[in-house]
Amino acid sequence: MLKKYIISFLFVFLQYLVASQNAAAIDYKAYGFIQPEITTFFNGDGRHDQSNSNQSIFVKGTFITYLNNGDQKITINTTGRIDEKDSERSYIDFQKFKYEQYFDDITLKIGNELIFWGVNESFNIVDIINQSNLAEDISGTKKFGQPMISLNYNHSYGNFDLFIMPFFKERIFPGRNGRPRLALEVDKSTVAYESSLKKNKIDAAVRYSTVYDDYDIGIAHFYGNNRSPELNVNPLSQKLDAYYPILSQTSLDIQSTKGAWLYKLETLTAKNGEERHFGIAGGTEYTIYGLRETTSDLGIIVEYTFDDRNDFAFNNEGVLALRWTKNDIKSTSLLAGLVADMSGSSNRFFAEFEQRIRDDLKVFIDMSINGEIDADDFTYTFEEDSQLTLKIAKYF
Amino acid sequence: MKKMKFAKIIFIIFALFPFYLSAETAEEQGLRIAKASYENGRGFTDMVSDQLMILIDPKGNEVTREVSGKTLENLDPNDGDKSLTYFKTPKDVEGTVMLSHTHISDDDDQWLYLPALGRVKRISSSNKSGAFMGSEVAFEDFSGTDYRKYEWKFLGEEMENNETFYKLESYPNYENSGYSKRISLIDNLNRTYKVDFYDRKGELLKTLYLEDYVLYKDKIWMANTLKVENIQNKNITIFKWLNRELDVGINKKDFEKSSILRLAD
Repeated sequence: MLKKYIISFLFVFLQYLVASQNAAAIDYKAYGFIQPEITTFFNGDGRHDQSNSNQSIFVKGTFITYLNNGDQKITINTTGRIDEKDSERSYIDFQKFKYEQYFDDITLKIGNELIFWGVNESFNIVDIINQSNLAEDISGTKKFGQPMISLNYNHSYGNFDLFIMPFFKERIFPGRNGRPRLALEVDKSTVAYESSLKKNKIDAAVRYSTVYDDYDIGIAHFYGNNRSPELNVNPLSQKLDAYYPILSQTSLDIQSTKGAWLYKLETLTAKNGEERHFGIAGGTEYTIYGLRETTSDLGIIVEYTFDDRNDFAFNNEGVLALRWTKNDIKSTSLLAGLVADMSGSSNRFFAEFEQRIRDDLKVFIDMSINGEIDADDFTYTFEEDSQLTLKIAKYF
Repeated sequence: MKKMKFAKIIFIIFALFPFYLSAETAEEQGLRIAKASYENGRGFTDMVSDQLMILIDPKGNEVTREVSGKTLENLDPNDGDKSLTYFKTPKDVEGTVMLSHTHISDDDDQWLYLPALGRVKRISSSNKSGAFMGSEVAFEDFSGTDYRKYEWKFLGEEMENNETFYKLESYPNYENSGYSKRISLIDNLNRTYKVDFYDRKGELLKTLYLEDYVLYKDKIWMANTLKVENIQNKNITIFKWLNRELDVGINKKDFEKSSILRLAD
C-alpha cells in the first residue's frame, strides 16, 4: 500500500519536474525492443509433464531525460514478458524508475534501480542488491528493480556508495508448467522470514570501489533479507516452504587487466541466519585478437566457484567457455561452453549465437544440452530440459 | 700568424655550421615534422562532437552508425587523453558507453557499459588491430595519434594534386599493431593529408584521406572527415565529425569510471 503511494508520489514529482522545464528544451531518449521467442525441447515432455515447446514475447523500453543542464536525470527502464505456458514467467517490472540529482562529488538517487557488483562472467557470487527472477531465467541472472535511496560520494581515493532499500521482493520461481522448474512448487502462502519485520525490513548496503592501475577493486557489505531463500519440503503440502534469513555479507571483487589477460576474483564471507559461510569464485579470460589474420577474436574463459556449504547448489562448479566475435558489420558472435559440477557427474553444454540481420533486427539462438545428472543433484529435475530457443528482437 | 690561424679556424667552423644544421638525419627530420603535425592539433582543452560512420561495401551497400563523444585533453605531455563515446545506432547497441584513458607507452585503460548486461566491464585494450564497429578503422587508428607511438623517417618531398607534401614513413613501437609501416603525406601547414597503411606482411592494406580541415581557436587544425579505403577487401569507411566544439569546459570527473553510470541507461 505504502509502495503504491510512493510510486504515485514519484509520478507526480516527475511530472512536476518535467513540467517545470521549458517544453522545447526537454531532450530525451526513448528506445526499446520487442522480442518474440520460440523454444523447443529435445526430450519430449518434461519430467513434470511440461510441454515440449513454448512461445513467449519479451519487451524492454527505456526512457531517459536530463533536466536543468544535466544536473538531474530521470531514467525509466521497463521489462516484461508474456509467456504461453508459465504464468509465473509473465510479468512486468520497472527495473529502473529513478530520479538522480548530481552535485559536484555526490549523486543522490531515489527509485527503482539495478545495481551490479562483480567481475566474473558466470558466477557473480557477490552480486546481492537485486532479487532474481528464476522464472525468466533459472540461472538467476535476470533481476528485478530494487527500490532504494542511494548516495554516491566520488572522492579522489575512490567511490563510496550507501544504499537504503525498503520493499523487499520475494524470489520468483518457475510455475507448475514452467520448464525448467524445480521438482516441487514453491508455496507462496507459507513464506517466512527471520526478521520480525518480514518483507518490511529495510535493508542496507555500503560499497567502496576504486581503480588502481590495472586493478578494479570493490569492497562491500550488505545487511538485510537474503535474496535467496532456504527451501524446505513441507511433508503435508508436498510443496516447498521458502524461508528468508537475515544475511550479513562482506565481499571483495577484483579484476586485474593485463594486456589480453583478465584475472577475476569474487569472494565473500557471510552470516546467513545463524550460520557463517565462505564463497570464492574467479578465473581468467584470455583473448586472441585477429584470429588467423582475420578480424575475428577468440576469447577463452575459465571460471570456478567454491562455497563451503555442502548443501549449496553451486559449491564446486567450473565453466570452460569460448567466445568468438567476428567483428563484422552484423556483430556476429558465438559463446559456447561447458558447465560442470566438479564433485558430481552433472554437466551442461550451452551455446549462444547472435547476429544483426537488419539495422533494427537481431536474431539470437540459444541452446542448452544437459548431460547425465546425478539423481541426488538439485539440477536432476532439469535433466530432460535440453532446449533450443530462437529469439528475434525488433528495435525501436 | 698564430692569430691568423685562429681566425681561419673560426671562419671554417662558421662556414661549416649551416652544414651541421642541414645534417639532421632523416629520422630526426621525420620526428620533427611528425611532432609539429601532432602539436598542430593540441591545445583544444576538451571537445564534444557527434560522429557519423558510413560503412560502404564493394557492391555499394551503405550503413550508417551514429555515436557522440567527449574528449578531455591531458595537459600532462607524458600521458594520453581521455574520451567517452556514446553509441546511438545500430539500435541494438543504443545506450552503450565506452570510456578510454589513453597512455603513450602503456596499454590504454578501457571500460564498457553494455545495456543488455547492465554492468560496467573493464576490457582489454591490447586489441590494437581490431575493427571499430565492423568498420575499416582499427582501434589503434584512434588511440595511436600521438607521434611518440612511432619511429619516424623523412623520405623526401612529393607532389600530389599540384601540392608539395612531406613524405614520412613510420613504424609503430607498441605491441600488437596490425601494421608494419605507415607512409604519411603532410602539407606545409603540418596537416596530414593522406596515410597509407601496410599490413604485417608489408602489403598495402588501406589508405586514409583526411579532409574538411577546419581551423579552431585560430590555431588548431582538425580534419572533420576521414575516409578509409581498404585496398584488400575494397570496403570504404567514412568518418564524419558533426557539431564539433572545443574548449567547452567539461568536468574532469566525467571521465572517471564511476561517471559512466551517469550516461548509462
